[in-house]
Amino acid sequence: MKKLTTQLRFDGRRLVLRNTSFIFFSLLMPVMFYILFTKVMVVTNNSAEMKIFSLNYMGSMIVYSILITSLMNIATFLMRDREQGFLMFLKMSDRGLFDYYISMGLWSVTMSMISVVILGGVAVLVNGVSLGLTQWGALGLMVLIGQLPLLLLGMALSFIKRQETLGVVCNLITFPAAIVSGLWWPIGLLPKWLQVIGEKLPTYFLNDVISSITNHAKLKLVDFVGIGIWTIILLAVTLLIIKISQRRGIFAGVQA
Amino acid sequence: MRDVIEVNHLKFNYRKRGVLKDVSFKVGVGKVVGLIGENGAGKTTLLKVLLGFLPDHGRAKILNSTPRLNYDVSSMMQGDLKLPGVTVQDILEETAAQSTSSLDIERVLKELDMMDLIHQRLTSLSGGQLRRVSFAMALIPNTRLVFLDEPTVGMDVNSRQRLWQKIDDLKKEGKTILITSHYLNELEKIADQILILKDGKIAFDGSFNELQSKYLMTTISFKTELGMDNFTNIDSLKNIRKKNGIIYIKSRDGDRTLQALLPLLNELHQISITRESLEKIFISMSEEELTDEKVNHTASI
Repeated sequence: MKKLTTQLRFDGRRLVLRNTSFIFFSLLMPVMFYILFTKVMVVTNNSAEMKIFSLNYMGSMIVYSILITSLMNIATFLMRDREQGFLMFLKMSDRGLFDYYISMGLWSVTMSMISVVILGGVAVLVNGVSLGLTQWGALGLMVLIGQLPLLLLGMALSFIKRQETLGVVCNLITFPAAIVSGLWWPIGLLPKWLQVIGEKLPTYFLNDVISSITNHAKLKLVDFVGIGIWTIILLAVTLLIIKISQRRGIFAGVQA
Repeated sequence: MRDVIEVNHLKFNYRKRGVLKDVSFKVGVGKVVGLIGENGAGKTTLLKVLLGFLPDHGRAKILNSTPRLNYDVSSMMQGDLKLPGVTVQDILEETAAQSTSSLDIERVLKELDMMDLIHQRLTSLSGGQLRRVSFAMALIPNTRLVFLDEPTVGMDVNSRQRLWQKIDDLKKEGKTILITSHYLNELEKIADQILILKDGKIAFDGSFNELQSKYLMTTISFKTELGMDNFTNIDSLKNIRKKNGIIYIKSRDGDRTLQALLPLLNELHQISITRESLEKIFISMSEEELTDEKVNHTASI
């Protein structure tokens, strides 16, 4: 237990408290986008429309924040830990990598919850967004489930060999995914063919579920099926990559 | 207790290339062993096999058992941790949590004169400072066997001295230490056993004195009107060559070769006697076959 608590303290400091990338890209940037598009660049004077937009955009920015955290933060940390020999170092202890993965998993979830709290708090304070306790609870639960495919994607990408390549690939996925799945502006503004692609992405499904929760709308089965299929596919891909890496002896950064 | 490390005909291939071709050696309890070899000789690979990271195919024993992870072994590998957002204290606390018999962090830092680094981030440290942190990380678990891979790379003179002093202390405590290095001079004072890894094989296994007596060469050079034939059969000759009118004789025993040359002294001019440095021994060992006992006669003009 001492090892796990030490590991949690160790990872908490570097992943959250001292991680400027998380604080800026995962928290401040979505907050700034939220304030910018709901307070500064207001596109409608209809207060009812604006209320819905404030709600929906809060959900979009939460998903965007989770996407950034999974791909820009978790993937980079996992990759760096392996490349620098931190996993090799941990593997020499009697508990191996067990505590490390538990800790990384718990902190990933916590980071997503921090996004919900921060963005939810800003939405409440700045736009007077009002949700019931059940809605907040359901939103939190859906974030826990819906971030799974994104975390798995981050984990799979962490096996990219060079940090520079990982950075480029993550950027190439993050921003197009955010735009196409309607996180930055409504998906209806995109060309039809792009909407078809966007509506198949895990970020769209998660955003849609959150939108249903915040708007008291009926939850759509297709969103859950979408998240489920993406989770299964990315789990299979990640396990395959891990297996190949283990066979090549590079799973924990060990190379001859 | 039996040998702490026992390796018998160990082989290891990486991408079809034989990195370790036939490695055999033993290390007794409380010994400091210097593992020497050129870059790419397989030193780090050998350490990784002994640590259990790479397969040994039943050819190695560590502390009377097959190499596996989670041992009474600690290591300082090449490539220091430079994790963002992590201080020296964080990483040492993390290290201490991995073992039940860990040493007190502050005590180790004081011994290594590193207390000033305790709150610094790893990313703000220099290469030498990071190496010192890695050394502290190898000491904190307080294990019976310690592997140090190129421990002094990037360290300043004072840090190196403190490191060797600490290794000497560990030796007195009865710990067994395997150190890889390029620097024979550093290992001279501390190593009980020298292993030289060359082309995936142990080319030398013995004490430093044995290494010196076997490979420490003396070069005698002079000008003479006499032909090379007069010198090819003299005592302790390793090789002989002629360049720019000067004859160079490389001898395994300088005293005996000089005695053999005494009768010809009147014919020899501009005599020079040079004993090779330890570094030169290593270089010449890298260039030549260590096991080649034949006298090599070459003449180049």
